[in-house]
Amino acid sequence: MRIDWRRFVAILALGAGAGLAWNALSGRGFTLTRSVLAQAGDQLVKAQEAKVLLGKGALFLDARPRDFWRMSRIPGSLALPEDDFDKSFPPLEPALRHARAVVVYCSGYGCEASLVVARKLRERGIDAAVLDEGLPAWEDAKLPLDRTPKP
Amino acid sequence: MMALLRGRAVQLLLRLLLGGFFVYASIDKILAPAAFARVIYQWQVTGPLLSNLGAVTLPWVELLAGALLVLGVWKRECALVIALLLCVFLGAAATVLARGIDVENCGCTSLARSEATSSGWPPSWARGVGWFLVSRDLLMLGAALVIASGAERRAAPERDAATPAA
Repeated sequence: MRIDWRRFVAILALGAGAGLAWNALSGRGFTLTRSVLAQAGDQLVKAQEAKVLLGKGALFLDARPRDFWRMSRIPGSLALPEDDFDKSFPPLEPALRHARAVVVYCSGYGCEASLVVARKLRERGIDAAVLDEGLPAWEDAKLPLDRTPKP
Repeated sequence: MMALLRGRAVQLLLRLLLGGFFVYASIDKILAPAAFARVIYQWQVTGPLLSNLGAVTLPWVELLAGALLVLGVWKRECALVIALLLCVFLGAAATVLARGIDVENCGCTSLARSEATSSGWPPSWARGVGWFLVSRDLLMLGAALVIASGAERRAAPERDAATPAA
């Protein structure tokens, strides 16, 4: 199989270059350095900042489906699943309104639930930050998880 | 068998099918790069920044390689670029399957598929990351390698013909 590797590289480079140019010039592009799920007004915090907030008494909310929260969670966090927000929010509302800070998380950078929950909280006058890249980022930073099963 | 696969008609058919598929697969992604990035996020393979870069560049590589393959320009190299892409996709699919991640829409051809679930078509086994995607990509990988190796037979006489003139 005789391959002209310059042509091979040229196809990759021209394709990539065209993609970058299209992203910059077409009006359909997006900012490459941030998640496309995040919108203006979303407040993202890194795992280490979140840990500091946890130490200062911030209230953490798990936006994943409740079964995931039952299996493992950031210590002290409460379940506020995005798919059950309307039912789960009222019992938590007093605690949320009195919390020093609120941080919402879900299962990773592909998960939008934490952003959606934080936006719903903001609509109700509760300022909430989102853990950037979610629970995997927390675990990657070697921060503790509570794996005690919850009923 | 290899002689049959290297026949002109088979080579042309494979080029048109494979190149055409990649051109078709690239269009939706080029028109909606942010939506494609969302789909790549679901694979949870590379992190958001590399996913963004892939969402912006991969569709254009698909388009260029597919279009050149259909036109018969740089056939072997285009086929190898497509083979490389397919290896990347297969590797990513393997990690998704190994981790048990449920990807509702693989984003392989059309991003609109994610909104098409109410119609029931295409079925979920054809949309997500599973045996259908792996089988299809393996089949296309085979076709790409056949094209890359098949073009060699016609390259040799060209070189021979060029020698006396040199």
